[in-house]
Amino acid sequence: MTGAFVRACALASALGPDLEAAVERLAGAPAVPARNTKTGGAWPYFAIPVAEGDWRRRAEAIARSVAEDLRRKAALAPAQWAALPCIVGSSSFSVGAWDEGGWAALEPSFDFSLRLAKAFGVSGPVTAVSTTCTSGFAALDIALGLIAQGEAREVLVLGVELRNRLTVAGFAGLQLLSATAARPCDRGRDGLVLGEALGAVLVSAVPAPWRIASLAAGMDAASVTGPSPDGTATAKTMRAAMAGARWESAAVDLIKLQSGGGPLADLAEANAVRELFSPVPRSVSLKGALGHTLGASGPAELALLLASLARGRVPATWGFSKPDDALGFAPSGGNAQGVRRVLFNLSGFGGSVMSLALENAG
Amino acid sequence: MYLLAPAALRIAPDDFSARVRSRFASELRRAGRFAQLCLLGAQACLDAAGGDGPLGVLWATGGGALDATRAALDESLKLGEPAMPFTFIATQPHLAGALLAQRSHPVTRAACLSLAPDAWPSLPHLAQRWLADCERVLVGWVEESASGGAAHRSDWCLLQKKMMPGAVRCEQVRSPENAAAATAEDWIPRVAAWHGSTNAPLVLRGSGDAWRFTLNG
Repeated sequence: MTGAFVRACALASALGPDLEAAVERLAGAPAVPARNTKTGGAWPYFAIPVAEGDWRRRAEAIARSVAEDLRRKAALAPAQWAALPCIVGSSSFSVGAWDEGGWAALEPSFDFSLRLAKAFGVSGPVTAVSTTCTSGFAALDIALGLIAQGEAREVLVLGVELRNRLTVAGFAGLQLLSATAARPCDRGRDGLVLGEALGAVLVSAVPAPWRIASLAAGMDAASVTGPSPDGTATAKTMRAAMAGARWESAAVDLIKLQSGGGPLADLAEANAVRELFSPVPRSVSLKGALGHTLGASGPAELALLLASLARGRVPATWGFSKPDDALGFAPSGGNAQGVRRVLFNLSGFGGSVMSLALENAG
Repeated sequence: MYLLAPAALRIAPDDFSARVRSRFASELRRAGRFAQLCLLGAQACLDAAGGDGPLGVLWATGGGALDATRAALDESLKLGEPAMPFTFIATQPHLAGALLAQRSHPVTRAACLSLAPDAWPSLPHLAQRWLADCERVLVGWVEESASGGAAHRSDWCLLQKKMMPGAVRCEQVRSPENAAAATAEDWIPRVAAWHGSTNAPLVLRGSGDAWRFTLNG
């Protein structure tokens, strides 16, 4: 059990430049991502609708916009805000600057994280962490440690993944991308669609509606590029998250799936879910709407999910239409009444698996 | 919390491939240089420390996987083609945790950080928290040489809950007196140099707080 709460969230994503626009958009008809030649090739890509321009200036503009929204919601005194520690999770940091500026534009991940913290107007200690697609939750884990050890009362957690050709070229090389659309959990799924996002979560020791009941981490070393087909490590990590929260499996009302539309990865996660739950609770994937935002996906999807639940809705899983019998369950959106406990899965290259238990304290 | 087997590995770039082949029988070509450098140092530390049990792996770096990133950007993107899969994977500095697990070490979690130079106490702090879930945490600092003349660096120590003969007790000190300033790059080498050289405690400080290292017994 942790004594940490989600005080405020903000998001810039393909669904909109701020969280409210994203939730509004998510309640509407699904959109198909455009093919973005900025990222190389002709793969569909979920881009943040912010004016194109110099990579670094665009990144800073996105950060300032998210910061303004988060700061308004957090309602901290100026001195408290300025002193916030900032933990940044990403798998690519500023490698996108290379696309326009070449080698001279590359900077260490810590320097880029400092730049982000400055754009947020915070000057507390900065840490950068990379655990591939779970990076945002690795950042959250560090934040929970600071709060648990009494080092900080509030911590700013950022998950950031901004457009870059390297990531798209890498996923293309691994043959993991869909040429059309992300279809999480769907019978016709054929790969991921990547996206960019900046998700911001202000974690606090001060009680707020959503408490972080526990965050568990695991390692799936079956392959460095994908999960074990039987989902063993994912199941173990989800079980650890529930144990940390002191939940029985029947207590879980909703599972936020990692599922991004990869044929085998979705199946591995489904195997883990079926091992732990009977019947399987409601589930949702957000990667059909946001794209797979990699290191940003934890904070980004957390922000979007909590904002949707605050409006009384479990979001629909965009891209899903035909259930896959092999998975054994299907995601379902709709009324969020009664959703109090959420299990939130992430996994990534290099075997990283994380599962977050969130509880609505009312 | 106790510290075991602090070691500072320095490898001249020209010797790197031979060192990897010597330790692992063959070069781990798909792993990339940064991950192999992590593995060399981590494995040396584990060899010296012995023991078993669930293991966390936590390390920091300034530059990360420079060689793989250069290769991926140079060889693939300039041509506008997909990146070679394992070159791309090797750009992720976190890879070493899984590779260590594949070598039969019971790794339960891993993370790669980048820190301000004086923020090294974050590493033992985080390791201490991880020890609630695993018995041991490997803590390291790994840096590929950015220029031909400098050596690659892979510095590691093992932190664990259980006291063992020869282990060093590690305690956080809130108000350090006579503490020497250390950095993320040099705190493990300084502990390694101190280890066994004197019975007097070593107190190193970074931003905010300090850690005292005391020979046990």
